[in-house]
Amino acid sequence: MSEKKEPIIQVRNVHKQFHTLHGTVHALRGVSMDVMPGEVVLIVGPSGSGKSTLLRCINRLEAVDSGEIIVDGIPLKGARNINKVRAEVGMVFQQFNLFPDRTALDNIILAQRVVRKRSKAEAEEKARYLLAKVGIPEKADVYPGQLSGGQQQRVAIARALAMDPKIMLFDEPTSALDPEMIKEVLDVMLELAREGMTMVVVSHEMGFAKAAADRAVFMDAGQIVEEAPPEILFENPSHERTKLFLSKIL
Amino acid sequence: MPDERTRTEQQNASMLPPDAPIPEMEARGPYERFINWAADLPWWAIILGVVAVIVLYSMLTSAAYRRVLRYLTDSPETSTENLYKAVLVVGERVEIVGEYAGETGDTVVTVINQLLKNEANPTLVSKAGFLVNETPARLTLQTDSGLILLPKDNIVEEEREEIDGKVLVRVTYTQSRTVIGTITAINDKTMRIRTVDEEKETFPTSRVLSREVVETTPCDHEAEPDCQDTQIVTIQRRGETFTGTLTTLSNTNLSIALDDGGSRELKMRDVEYFTVAALTRAFSPDAVERTVTDGDTVRIGYEESDVAEDFLASLSEKDRVRVPLVYSEGEAEVELVRYDDVDALLADTANGELDGMLYIAPGPQHPQVDAWVESHPDANLAELATQVCQSGCRITVKLVDDEITGRVAAEDKDTITVVTTEPEYAEVAQADILERRKMEPGTCALNNLRGCNAGIFLTLRVTFQAYGLALIIGLIVGIMRVQTNPMTFRSKLMQTFFTSASTLYVEVVRGIPLLVILLYAGFVVSPYLRDHPINMPDVLVVVMNAILAVLNAPLKLWNSLGIAYIGDLGTFPDPIRVNLNDEQEAVLGLAFGYGAFVAEIFRAGIQSISRGQMEAARSLGMSYPQAMRYVVLPQAIRTVLPPLGNDFIAMLKDSALISVLALPDLLQLGRLYISRTFRAFEGYNSVAVLYLLMTLFLSMLVRIIERRSRLPG
Repeated sequence: MSEKKEPIIQVRNVHKQFHTLHGTVHALRGVSMDVMPGEVVLIVGPSGSGKSTLLRCINRLEAVDSGEIIVDGIPLKGARNINKVRAEVGMVFQQFNLFPDRTALDNIILAQRVVRKRSKAEAEEKARYLLAKVGIPEKADVYPGQLSGGQQQRVAIARALAMDPKIMLFDEPTSALDPEMIKEVLDVMLELAREGMTMVVVSHEMGFAKAAADRAVFMDAGQIVEEAPPEILFENPSHERTKLFLSKIL
Repeated sequence: MPDERTRTEQQNASMLPPDAPIPEMEARGPYERFINWAADLPWWAIILGVVAVIVLYSMLTSAAYRRVLRYLTDSPETSTENLYKAVLVVGERVEIVGEYAGETGDTVVTVINQLLKNEANPTLVSKAGFLVNETPARLTLQTDSGLILLPKDNIVEEEREEIDGKVLVRVTYTQSRTVIGTITAINDKTMRIRTVDEEKETFPTSRVLSREVVETTPCDHEAEPDCQDTQIVTIQRRGETFTGTLTTLSNTNLSIALDDGGSRELKMRDVEYFTVAALTRAFSPDAVERTVTDGDTVRIGYEESDVAEDFLASLSEKDRVRVPLVYSEGEAEVELVRYDDVDALLADTANGELDGMLYIAPGPQHPQVDAWVESHPDANLAELATQVCQSGCRITVKLVDDEITGRVAAEDKDTITVVTTEPEYAEVAQADILERRKMEPGTCALNNLRGCNAGIFLTLRVTFQAYGLALIIGLIVGIMRVQTNPMTFRSKLMQTFFTSASTLYVEVVRGIPLLVILLYAGFVVSPYLRDHPINMPDVLVVVMNAILAVLNAPLKLWNSLGIAYIGDLGTFPDPIRVNLNDEQEAVLGLAFGYGAFVAEIFRAGIQSISRGQMEAARSLGMSYPQAMRYVVLPQAIRTVLPPLGNDFIAMLKDSALISVLALPDLLQLGRLYISRTFRAFEGYNSVAVLYLLMTLFLSMLVRIIERRSRLPG
């Protein structure tokens, strides 16, 4: 990926604090990271290490306290139209967050119509194509409540893809799934990676990491501890903290 | 990670397979089954059902329904309308042929009124004749063309003159007449109306003092040989006597609980005399200042009588007097001394033999005591006072004698019935009726639903309008009250302002009774707006008038063509005067009061939608308003539909409060019915049943909508 010069995501010394009733949580403490176009980056780390916060900062669901994030050449801080940036960055959530009062098809159509201002026919065609792509064309007119977790997550991926994003962010996409459904979601993600989509994935799926990730990042206590190709990070980590973490999850 | 895996597997084993359908909740009763059945019908069928209910209601309120009612009960009296007055205008039909001479531009109403001008006042007839009979309702005159009977309502002018002991009456009267009364019988051809109600009184014969025949009307012995002459008598009556327990006594009124369980309120001016126990109390002059000491004896005298014995017995019963008297320092004794004679009692008190005296005897005055005091001017009695029992004593009341005049309708050994006012009837041919004026308002009852229509529609109209307004207020305030992340508002200050303002509104309004809010709307806000016109800035007035002038130009052009007048928009009002009518006040008050509850429902509904929904929508590039509009609100509305429906029904019921603003809503009509007929049970039953029908119907609709909006899966 090094032949492309400009990174599509640039994270520069980002700090983020959460103020709660019980005190202040320093979630990110000076995180810096670059993601090149077409790169697949896997972020791992223990719970509370700031992985999800980093991801949410990248499409500004959270505002950063200091530092800078530049997505597709646009600095997020003070961005005039954050919605325009968000439309280029697809996000898949751990809890799917499908719209329960709309059918699978309508879930995918809605944002195309509202944000991309596509015609109804165009949006529907795209939606059906994407449903076929994630392997559930027959579930078009079914409500999310009638779908299994794996199917819901695949609809969620299709919904994000419908916006033709340049970047896809996955926030623990398989953590809320039963083991037998994890594979169907990972297959869709692998397919996306093969097509050259830029992806930032928070996940502990070693299989996916080895098969698709270009780089793995280990985070702890709001800082990036180590980053390396996945096979090196998982099998031969250089930091003690990384070793300790991996010894627990493997 | 072996531990975690096992746990996940165990969880899976206990859960249903993910694709298995969740079993539907079984419908429990027939009502639930009906709702489920109705919810599965297509929309048009439900709308048809609603229309059918409205049609059914219209049928129930129609004349046909009342005919059925009349047929079934075989009595015209059952219709509430007949409990009230029927007004009929009876006369000869007149065909109007006229030539119209008016001005162009007159309205149709003016044209017709012009045509009818002469006919509207039917020809007046003047006649003269000797007075034969006069009743409160009509005159009978002997004229040259025979006897005529004139209802007094029809007489326009009247002049009386006495000639040879006879009264000559010259009258001018209208030929058509108005008959007002209670319908007592109806058939296809005629109608019998009681124009004057009979008044009679029944009393015991023992009260009769004397009797005098005032007037005798001979009856037609040839037609009916057995008939008896009608005699009008004047009876002198002894005033009634009541015995019972005195409840209250004042200078003007007296009320007693009678021995048979009833009660009577009497005016003092009707009372000839009454006897009730009175107490005269006096002290020996030495005793007034004396301090009771240990071992002392207080001597109190009283006259022997049943009343006094009872009184003393009741005193000791109520434990007010303890004999011997107990003092904190020791003991003193009370000695009650019985006397046979009041004079001796008074004398002994005066000379110090007794410390004090009590004299209880019937009657408000005690002449014996007065007489003794008068004949003993030197006697020394301290604090002599007579006190009449104010309540709780036995009392006998005798009313003043009076007299009664009328026809003796029935008489037996014990009672006599005198009719003081004879009923009068008017027989009206249906064909002669020119006009029927219905008296529907105020007769709202279940057997005359038409009388309730105005109230029902007012109640529904006010509820719908107020609820619509409350929804708007509630939605705005509810969204303002949702505390989301800083994405909502650009500035922190704005967010703080919006949340505190909305919280203030909700907490204040929820803490004030709706009745008070309504009274504020009606008697504070509305008069304030009426008295304080809102001054508009001059710039706005000028701009608006310019715009209106442009808009008015084509209208004025059209009007100048003379084809039809459509008016114009006028000028911009300055200052603006807000003049709310009662109904608008009620709508504003209800909406303002319910807005807070609706806002809370919306807030809860929006907050019940998980944060992830908003995040998902925003991550797809939607703006905050777009995400609200397309993602959060549609789901929130599904969640809030049932509580909103409940609130609507609650508001329908609370709309009964608007009767305090003098609005003729359903409750007010019911109360009017009660005030006219004194049938509180029937009146409130009607109101309750009608409210119940409305709320049941609406709650059924709400349940159906609720079920239909339920999400699959």
